Amino acid sequence: MADTRNADIRALLGGGSTEDRLAAIHFMVGALFLVIGGAIQLLSLVALRFADLLPISYGLLEPAANLTLMIGFAAISLVGGVYYVVPRLTGARLRNATLGGLGLAGMAGLTGLGVVAILTGLGDGGQPLGLAWWLDIPLALVLFIPAMITLDTIRHRTERRSFVTLWFVVGGVVWLPLLYLAHLVTELPFASQVGIAFAETFFSAGFVTMFLVTVGSGLVYYTTVKEMDLPLASRQLALVGFWSLGFAAAWWGAAQLLFGPGPDWVAGVAAALGLAFPLGALANAANVSMTLEGSWSRLAEQPGVLSGVIGLYLTVGVAAVAALAGFRSVGSVAATTPLWEAIEYVLLAGVATLLVSGVAFAALPRIVGRELETKAKARRFHRLTVTGAVGVLVTLGGAGVLAGYSWIGGSNSGAYIDAGEGWAAGMGASYDTLVLAAVVFGIVLFAGLGGYASIVFGTVARGRAASQEVLVAKVARDE
Amino acid sequence: MSDQLAAAAAAMGLPEALVQRSAEARSEETGASVEDILAQWVAGETAPVAAAPQAPPVEEAAEPDEALPEEATTTPEIVIEVPDGAETPTPAPQPIAVGPYKPPVLVGHEDSPMTLLAGVVGLFIIVMMVGLVGPSIPVDEPGARSSEIAFSEAALAGREVYAVSGCAACHTQMVRPVVADVGLGAVTLNDTNQILGTRRFGPDLSDVGSRVGSDQMQAIVAGQGTHPAHNLSPTDLESLVAYLSESRTSSGPAPS
Repeated sequence: MADTRNADIRALLGGGSTEDRLAAIHFMVGALFLVIGGAIQLLSLVALRFADLLPISYGLLEPAANLTLMIGFAAISLVGGVYYVVPRLTGARLRNATLGGLGLAGMAGLTGLGVVAILTGLGDGGQPLGLAWWLDIPLALVLFIPAMITLDTIRHRTERRSFVTLWFVVGGVVWLPLLYLAHLVTELPFASQVGIAFAETFFSAGFVTMFLVTVGSGLVYYTTVKEMDLPLASRQLALVGFWSLGFAAAWWGAAQLLFGPGPDWVAGVAAALGLAFPLGALANAANVSMTLEGSWSRLAEQPGVLSGVIGLYLTVGVAAVAALAGFRSVGSVAATTPLWEAIEYVLLAGVATLLVSGVAFAALPRIVGRELETKAKARRFHRLTVTGAVGVLVTLGGAGVLAGYSWIGGSNSGAYIDAGEGWAAGMGASYDTLVLAAVVFGIVLFAGLGGYASIVFGTVARGRAASQEVLVAKVARDE
Repeated sequence: MSDQLAAAAAAMGLPEALVQRSAEARSEETGASVEDILAQWVAGETAPVAAAPQAPPVEEAAEPDEALPEEATTTPEIVIEVPDGAETPTPAPQPIAVGPYKPPVLVGHEDSPMTLLAGVVGLFIIVMMVGLVGPSIPVDEPGARSSEIAFSEAALAGREVYAVSGCAACHTQMVRPVVADVGLGAVTLNDTNQILGTRRFGPDLSDVGSRVGSDQMQAIVAGQGTHPAHNLSPTDLESLVAYLSESRTSSGPAPS
């Protein structure tokens, strides 16, 4: 049977169109980085609970995990999704697939190199990625490649009408490199520490709202409408979701510096505009739900669409917590606590994986001509990922709130103010227990991430032969 | 089988890889051997595609609206994508076999992506100007206290060690005017030259120089208590300790 499997893999590389093969390879490379990044992220959580257990500290593990999950997994996989949908929505062949391959090699290579550099102490310690300038600048340039390819393809489109997914895709692939470029202000020698802190939080938050959730939601719109064969409920609601995520949602990041040395107006603006994150996410989730009205029972047969729907609603939940934490009353307790770590952890591992699987589970069978392997595995992936993500959010978030109240009580935290041995010891044990529970849920979440990777590679290598969608491109009018 | 494959590919005007792939799919679905299916295709029997003769021999690849813009309501002309070097088949003007008419689902409006692009870029500039530049502008208030510490050269080198070692992932150097931070040191102002950080898994270190001696600092960095051990070179360790020792804000600089 081994020969057969090899033959099947060759069939992927030899069949279908060039741009579809490129998309499939993006999904596969992304899945590989998901496993690596998920493992590093889990280790960082272990390092939080058992600081002296691992030879590498949390301070190095965390940026390495962020880099792997943000660029290695989310960016690469979502760009694969973009390369899958853009030719189908524009009626034009993907322009310059060779450059797309180089972009993939660049993102993957720089991510791998970056992880090694960070873990060996050659990073710059910045957040969220911690890359030194000699990796930051090439990565910024490489991130422009998907934008160039997407825009050039749209320029040659034969279809003059735009389905809503096209906005989300254009917005996401253009905002990502611009965000990264703006984030490079942290490398400037004259940058103030306050400026660096805001640049870092804006990049973290902007990556989530302006790229991850924007592109992910756009792709969910496509797969839902396409796979379920149902018309979109509301174009206007999609418009609300798109501009909310693009314009205002990134402000949820600034709430992490609440009461910090920034101007006073930042707190109010961040709290108000940060609400755009849950609102934008809710607009998209509601729109997809209305689209599915009367067809929910069919979701069980469409693991990709189901992933997307779950991902959208998980986004709403996490975004609501993030927006809530941006208010001064909550922020006075929760700012700088592990609650924010919980939010980022779940966004990068849980939400990103569900949104990416929303398009990958729908696209891969069409691209490689193999059935998804298997629907039972997909259901298990959903269960593990949701359980793990919600568990981490609740336990680590709970630990954050507990830490915040313990600081206010002047107990055992970083405040070095002891309000009484009994109080300090009691809070410390509760905190440690919650972080330990977060580690357990982190393991469950990691099993879910492994399930996703297993489905991706299993589909490509072992899936039962099925219908293959061969891309048929029309000739552009101006060609 | 390779002869059969070549013959089938030639008969159908398609790349061999695509024909083999289709034959395998058909074989798995029908139970017939790949050889039999290829033989049928060489003999010119039923093409596996219901679309135009040039359509790829892949089951259901003939869903014409799968690969074409779904907005198109008229029968579109299709061109099959072929690998470089292969002869491009001429599209035939025959209608594509489709089922009963069903309204397209991926319906869009006519619009201009370039306008959208302009909006996307313009919006980004606004967001960055307000969100990134705005908070970074120093607030000059005559007579106001300063948070800027006059670090020595060794301490500035130590700040680099602090950054590269990832200390800011667990420690803030940011005292806020909130109850939780009472007693940590002077409130951090906009002109601070310490590394702020956004997570406080360990103690705030903006005023650590007032609380902890350098010997104890070295022990903590080496792994004393619950702190993870960092294997720093003696020079780096010395620089780091200098930075932390000079991180004193509770006395504060003299008012200007």
